Amino acid sequence: MELIEIKGVYKEYETAVALRGVDLVVGSGTWCSVVGPSGSGKSTLLNIIGGLDSPTKGQVFVDGADLGALSEDALARFRRERIGFVFQQSYLIPYLSSVDNVMLAQYFHSMPDRLEAEEALRRVGLAHRLGHRPGELSGGEQQRVCIARALINSPRLLLADEPTGNLDRENTRLMLELLKRLHEEERFTIILVTHDPYVSKWAQRIVTMEDGKVIKDEPLYY
Amino acid sequence: MSLFIIEAAVVGLKEALKLWVVWLVMSAYLKDMGSPRLIRAFHMGIALTIALFAVSFAIASDPYVRTVLSRLTGYTFFVFFISSIAALLESTGTRLFAGLKPKEGIFRPVIALSTVFYFSPDIIGSSMFIRELSEMKGAYAAVYLSGFAGFALPFLLTALTLYKYRGGRTAAIAAIAPYFGTAQFLLFLSMVKLLGGGVKGFAEFSLIPMVQRGVMKFFHDFVHQTFVFLMVPDHPLLATTVWNFIGIFFGPNIAMAASLFILLAPPLLFLLKGATSPRGGTATPQGATGPGEKGAERRKLMASVRADRRKKAVPVVGFIALILIFYFSGGTGEVSRLYNPKPKPVVEDKGVIIIPLTDPTMDLMDGMLHKFSFAAEGKTMNMLIIKKPDGKLAVCLDACEICPPEGYGQREAHVVCIYCMTPIPVETLGRPGGCNPIPLNASITEKDIRVDVAEIIGKWQKVGGAGSVE
Repeated sequence: MELIEIKGVYKEYETAVALRGVDLVVGSGTWCSVVGPSGSGKSTLLNIIGGLDSPTKGQVFVDGADLGALSEDALARFRRERIGFVFQQSYLIPYLSSVDNVMLAQYFHSMPDRLEAEEALRRVGLAHRLGHRPGELSGGEQQRVCIARALINSPRLLLADEPTGNLDRENTRLMLELLKRLHEEERFTIILVTHDPYVSKWAQRIVTMEDGKVIKDEPLYY
Repeated sequence: MSLFIIEAAVVGLKEALKLWVVWLVMSAYLKDMGSPRLIRAFHMGIALTIALFAVSFAIASDPYVRTVLSRLTGYTFFVFFISSIAALLESTGTRLFAGLKPKEGIFRPVIALSTVFYFSPDIIGSSMFIRELSEMKGAYAAVYLSGFAGFALPFLLTALTLYKYRGGRTAAIAAIAPYFGTAQFLLFLSMVKLLGGGVKGFAEFSLIPMVQRGVMKFFHDFVHQTFVFLMVPDHPLLATTVWNFIGIFFGPNIAMAASLFILLAPPLLFLLKGATSPRGGTATPQGATGPGEKGAERRKLMASVRADRRKKAVPVVGFIALILIFYFSGGTGEVSRLYNPKPKPVVEDKGVIIIPLTDPTMDLMDGMLHKFSFAAEGKTMNMLIIKKPDGKLAVCLDACEICPPEGYGQREAHVVCIYCMTPIPVETLGRPGGCNPIPLNASITEKDIRVDVAEIIGKWQKVGGAGSVE
């Protein structure tokens, strides 16, 4: 069953063209890496899949919903219920504790539940950091809070844009191992944008982009 | 523009607004219940009501019919109010109607007949009021046209709005629907009835005075009958001073507190139960699978229950607010709106008070209440005189043995104790005891009425009361 279906998507800006007729289909439960040089359109594609941006032309279907046909409210509801985001920067609220940051995502989804948020942080190995604020956490720990926050609302799709960009190799490995375990347990779909070949190889499929087009789409088996 | 023309328009407007707002909320409620087609049964009920309204023009406007209509209006309110309490309890998890599953077909006649039962007394009562007003003022065309204009105004504005904004009705119904479950709908109906159910124009715009009077009457009868029937007649507790004390219990303040409690306790209980129960009975959204959900799904379900509960609490809170606003804005002052003439001072002549029957400035035989005041020993004592249905005159003190001597007013075929609002049929005046005015042994001739001063003073001493001391 396909979770993402992208048909002839263009994204044009006044001075540049980011996407040039991208077609892509991603099955449910797949971990797909999107790689390519800077300016190839990886992040633009990710933002369009996540409903953060809209294409100039073409259609995007995610989990059966035609994103172009959704109203602003429906799109916001779609994002908070079906999609989890992890970015290179953590974007955690600096004056809230780890658990409160996770609860904030619960609040915007439905309602907060402290016990559930604490359990989510334990699953990412942060049982000893529940009451710590982002400034008191390492970069790797902050990204683990971000994963807990992104997955707390049981999304069907996790979109990650250079999630390990600020981490050293050891923390990158720890984070990818965590992501792999959670992916195997919960079978959500992952689209992970990276330019790091080490990170991209953790996926089941690698999509390579260049100059706004998909130039290679290869499955990996592990 | 004359006040009575405005009054006719307001009465017409009030009935139309009731019809309009109930139709709108009923449409929303039925949509929420998944049976929007049942609104046709409501339309049928309205058609029957209008037919009854037309027939009502042939009914003679006499006080008895008015009394029956007035009572019927009150009973309708109580039926819907009690139903709303039951539904409120049901919706917060108290299973009153477990196992009761009526067939859908039965709802059609129930809705149609309930609509007739709900609207008829008010509409017929208001039409009779407009008719009386037109007859009293001798301005038939102006009063009827004004009443009709008031009635037509909301429908005209609705038609214009819907013409301008197509789809407005559907949007309005969709916006209202989440706020009304069965309990809220029934409470809404009783609220509309309570706040706009009076059928006597400006004199009784709402039913709140009726509720208050009902409570006072209940207190009065309960306390009074208990003491009168359960105690021996010469028991010290029956002394007048004690009766004065007991009278406090069926005074307006206690009645106001009690009626406020009766009206507000159920919705407050509903809010309390709704706020404290984790997932209340019928508030569970359709499609929920119960305790099996976990994580985000569970939170989503809980949030939807909470949002639904909050929306459903809005009409209940609105009901509470409106009741309080009406109570504390002087709306309940209507309870004491009685005909209460100012006493005419009289003086004694050789130990006797003489009230002429041939005085051209007053007609004691006109069936209206007449009052006289007499000053002696530093006190002002009041008397009342009224013609009874048998043609005889009743001459009494303007006080009874029980309540503080605030006197009596007249409403239709009763005199009413101003303190405890107990209505006394005029034909029973002259009988001693209880709530009746204390009778005086008057000598009545064709020329005048003579009352012994010593008797007045002697009997007034039993009444006491600080208010009578000058």
